[in-house]
Amino acid sequence: MIEISNLSSDLGEFHLRDINLTVNQGEYLAVLGPTGAGKTVLIEYIVGIYKPEQGSIKVNGEEVTELFMEERNIGYVPQDYALFPNLNVGRNISYGLEARRMPPEQIKDIVSDMISRLKIDYIRHRMPLHLSGGEKQRVALGRALATEPGVLLLDEPLSALDENLRTEMARELRRIQRSVNGTFIHVCHNFEEASEVADRIAIMNEGRIIQVGTLSEIMEVPANEFVARFVKTQNIFNGVSDGSCVRIGETEIVKENSHTGNVIVAIRPDNIEIVENSGQENVFTGVVESKKLKPYFTEIFVKADIPLLVLCKKENSFKEGDKINIRIPQEKVIVIKNSE
Amino acid sequence: MSGNKANRKAFKALFYSFAGFLFLYSLYLFLSNLDQLFVTEAAVKTREITDVWGDDREIMNQFAGGFWKDPYFWKSLNLTVVTTLITTLIASIVGIPTAYALSRFRIKAKSIVEILFSSLIVMPGSVIGICLIIMFNYGPLWDLQNALGFRFAHSLFPGMVIASLVLSFALGLSAWKAAFDSVNPRFEQVARSLGSSRWRAFRTVTFPLAKSGIIAGIILAWTRAMAEFSAVLFFCGTFMELPSSRFSEFTKFIQMDQADWVSVAVWAQVEFGNIEYGFALAFVLVLIGGISVYIMHRIGAKGYIW
Repeated sequence: MIEISNLSSDLGEFHLRDINLTVNQGEYLAVLGPTGAGKTVLIEYIVGIYKPEQGSIKVNGEEVTELFMEERNIGYVPQDYALFPNLNVGRNISYGLEARRMPPEQIKDIVSDMISRLKIDYIRHRMPLHLSGGEKQRVALGRALATEPGVLLLDEPLSALDENLRTEMARELRRIQRSVNGTFIHVCHNFEEASEVADRIAIMNEGRIIQVGTLSEIMEVPANEFVARFVKTQNIFNGVSDGSCVRIGETEIVKENSHTGNVIVAIRPDNIEIVENSGQENVFTGVVESKKLKPYFTEIFVKADIPLLVLCKKENSFKEGDKINIRIPQEKVIVIKNSE
Repeated sequence: MSGNKANRKAFKALFYSFAGFLFLYSLYLFLSNLDQLFVTEAAVKTREITDVWGDDREIMNQFAGGFWKDPYFWKSLNLTVVTTLITTLIASIVGIPTAYALSRFRIKAKSIVEILFSSLIVMPGSVIGICLIIMFNYGPLWDLQNALGFRFAHSLFPGMVIASLVLSFALGLSAWKAAFDSVNPRFEQVARSLGSSRWRAFRTVTFPLAKSGIIAGIILAWTRAMAEFSAVLFFCGTFMELPSSRFSEFTKFIQMDQADWVSVAVWAQVEFGNIEYGFALAFVLVLIGGISVYIMHRIGAKGYIW
């Protein structure tokens, strides 16, 4: 378990502002944000490369803020894995155990166990230079996990892998985390990757944590426009709310909400339904402007009073120029207070 | 695309033929004068030689049958090798940790230190020499010497070591810093996150990875110290008439008395007309430099030392 309270610091180009975050034992948290959001810097503060100007970090209840890196018992897998090029795979994994001066027999047992758990027996004596991206990642994980750290920090661990391997390794990461019941913090900028691995997601921007929640919480109730955009809620508009409905230009969408005045209205494209009949609540007629085939679905751009992106089944008969009725279920409309 | 390739090929051909010509021509000049090593009599005998070097040391006349029979040569070599080894040792002991600190820590005056030592590299030795003279013959360092009871300038130790240390240290420092810079600091951070102390992380990860660069730095520092001429000449002069000091007996015992730094000896011999002797000494320097750089490169490449 790790608890970060009021962590603030300034590194010149990067800064962290009032970070509060708790990750429970056995939980997998993804820290998600655009490039330059301060994700890597946050990891570097937790691991102890830098000391924060204020705030505290506790691992399993123990205050580690003022401790040296070697005293924190925090595992760290950097983006480039940083496998020691002068040591073979086995020696890389045993490195932390040797640093703890464990008896050689015990080290041997732990390394063998880790190697078989990660399914890397065949590369045990290989040097890091001769490993593929996926193998490197497993070795880096094994090295970090061998010492049974209180928390494991993964800095964009999948970014060096190709698309296919990335999904596979994301699942593998999840499997490993479950098998060791470890507390993992995984930094990335890819929403799909975060949703693949994490129990909870923390969204970060400009050195602040904007929102922490499960995937569905973040998708259904984004804290602000930035989060809504980041989790790919494609249909986002400025509107005005009177509490019972929201108005976007000339279009009125019925939506009970607690805001009045200027609001941001967000509608996920997968929540928009294509219906036969008009005349129901929140049903609009529009024209299919364009159509884009994706691997598992089709994206349709509909020009109604407001332009909308709609996802529908891959097999459909819509053509460009067709008139269709679309329904926006009231409960799926997201209304966020416009703070600007 | 193919035009570029052709251009590159033409440039390469031109470059290698020019460099090859220069190399072969220098080799030819050198080898064609090798007979100079075996002269048995001085080409010129001038009054200055006996005036300066003393009646009992008519060098070339005692030099019958080869320069290697002359004790002056062996003393010079001994002096140079021992002194440069001390210089290299000091440069390494101070320089390697300094380079590591400059490479890894956020030090406020870092750029000033780097500029200072980099500018030393491009400074002529004579400038270094005159600066050392001013530094050690006035002010607090002069008072220190008075208190200690011996002079730094015109001494084997520390005079020659100081004179050869400046550029040797500056050059070594830049090489060692480059060696540490080339090792990703992440390795050390990960090692420490795994429970290694800073020292263990350095010893087991950074140092083995920077090893060849560190060896290259030591080679550079040593060869630079050996090649030092003007700074040594300015700060220490020639040693044939070294005034006796409290260390005279000791330097005699270790066979370094009445001898010159080899590169200074080359100049001194040529200056007094003994061109053959100068050439012989230069030949020895070339030989030592070439062989030692080759050997140390081999050792460095195979990692035998560590």
